[in-house]
Amino acid sequence: MAVSTTHRRPGTLTRPGSRRPAWPGLWHFLTFAAPGTLVYTCLVLLPIAMSVGYSLTNQALLRPNTRFVGLRNYELLFRDETFLSSLRVTTILTLIVVIVPNVLGVAVAVVLDRRGWLYNALRSVFFTPMVISSVVISVIWTRVLADDGPINQGLRALGVAEPPGWLSDPDIALYSLSSIVCWQMLGFCVVVYLAGLQGVPQELAEAAAIDGAGPLRRFWKVTWPLLAPALTINTVVLLISAFKIFDHVKVITNGGPGTGTTASVAFVVLQEGFVENRTGYASAEAVVMLVVIAALSVVTLRILQRREVQL
Amino acid sequence: MSGSRLPWVRPLVALVIGAVFFVPLYIALINVFKASGQVARDTMSLPDPPTLDNLTRVLTDPGSLFWPSLRTSVVVTSLSIVILTLLSAMLGHYLARHTQWWSRAVMVLLLCGLMIPPQVILIPVTQVLKSLGLMSTLQGLILFNVGYYVPFGVFVFSGFMKGIPRELEEAAAIDGATRWQTFWRVVFPLLRPATASVLIFLGVWIWNDFLNPLIIYGPREGTTIMTGVYKSLGQYAADFGGMFALMFLATLPILVFYLLLQKQFVKGLTGGATKG
Repeated sequence: MAVSTTHRRPGTLTRPGSRRPAWPGLWHFLTFAAPGTLVYTCLVLLPIAMSVGYSLTNQALLRPNTRFVGLRNYELLFRDETFLSSLRVTTILTLIVVIVPNVLGVAVAVVLDRRGWLYNALRSVFFTPMVISSVVISVIWTRVLADDGPINQGLRALGVAEPPGWLSDPDIALYSLSSIVCWQMLGFCVVVYLAGLQGVPQELAEAAAIDGAGPLRRFWKVTWPLLAPALTINTVVLLISAFKIFDHVKVITNGGPGTGTTASVAFVVLQEGFVENRTGYASAEAVVMLVVIAALSVVTLRILQRREVQL
Repeated sequence: MSGSRLPWVRPLVALVIGAVFFVPLYIALINVFKASGQVARDTMSLPDPPTLDNLTRVLTDPGSLFWPSLRTSVVVTSLSIVILTLLSAMLGHYLARHTQWWSRAVMVLLLCGLMIPPQVILIPVTQVLKSLGLMSTLQGLILFNVGYYVPFGVFVFSGFMKGIPRELEEAAAIDGATRWQTFWRVVFPLLRPATASVLIFLGVWIWNDFLNPLIIYGPREGTTIMTGVYKSLGQYAADFGGMFALMFLATLPILVFYLLLQKQFVKGLTGGATKG
């Protein structure tokens, strides 16, 4: 209530020529809040509801009459080898992409946590991949990891007769793909950890040093606990971006090599929905994807924030 | 500290890590200026002799998707980020200043939007846009960008609003300004650092976006710069030099935009700090 009174202009009621309508709150809502809310509702909230609706039908492009099939799509999903394999692929991708850039990010941030032109320049280097499109990143890495690319040329020069097919070997391709995503996300983690390190009071580390703690011990007991908010941000951002990885898969491997060795859930949903045109079934996959990402984010956020509060 | 005993260790370690990390970017950069034959033979070496052939080929080839898709991307990105900044600044301001339950509920619904993968909603979004007659149009793509990224803008602006004293708005109201005038003349100029970061992030994301333009704008109608790069992959299959040149030209505008605004962003931050 206090809010609307603070905005009320003195003299509004006594001035008949005022453009202020009878419901000032409503007018304020319509001009400031309604446009954004409306677009968001129509293009995000409504589509989520529609996805749930579609997922209960057998809708498909070439099927003339769509009908309600209840939970049939969901039953089929958990017997569908393509979908189950995409869950496995996404789990591996997510684990690697959440852990590796976090670990490397802290390490690089600790090294770069100094003033000076060299460190400033290096920060820019680490952040550059974040500004470059995943499509471009993917093409660059496709060339770097090609069978006759620079890495394998180097390995051959070192005497390795048969260097690995980084992107063509079904056993390795998923890990190569994960590494590329890690490389791209590393800069973001470094920047967030650097910001976190600037918030660590120098006195604390000095006090610990006087008490006889070595560099490693100082890091674990003083610095790392104070980086908890940075860890939360990085983990949640990495989790969400790992879950929607599509561009890299599409450009680098198109789901292969072999059948579905790198096909993530995000890739399979779009494949079913826009290539196979099985809208109802793809929507069921999308709903499962949404539920999993929501549950994972909430649980991760809870766990990591509890850690922050205890400090 | 080991750093104080061996002062050269830290810069050396930093340089080595930076160099290893930079290798793929180095490869992308040098191969723009190499003859295509040399790219395949030795990808790592410096161009010998350096050539601008690849760039001129991409820029002048009449069959190249570069110019039309550049135009499309400039239009889509600039319109999207301007509309997004205006709408999310107003909505963020409204939600930061109204703390009733329904306003908090709107906030929570918006924050949920931050984590929704586009794949989950794209199928129904095509239906919504079809029914509006906006499927496969630039307007449709811009409208979707606005809806999809509004949560991020609101998140940044409403967070930033907490640092702006309410008294400023009250003073303007006492001086006879309407809410509209108060917002645009008093509040919005103070939001400049937030505006800069919203413009940077959304500009980079929308420019680099691949999936949404592919589904919403293409494949029939046209391409943005990144779907253009993707579609050119086949055309440049044997022409690595051309491929790297196209990717260089597609990245350059957003890199320049990022560097320009990054300065503005820092200026805004330090300007506010000294005044504070």
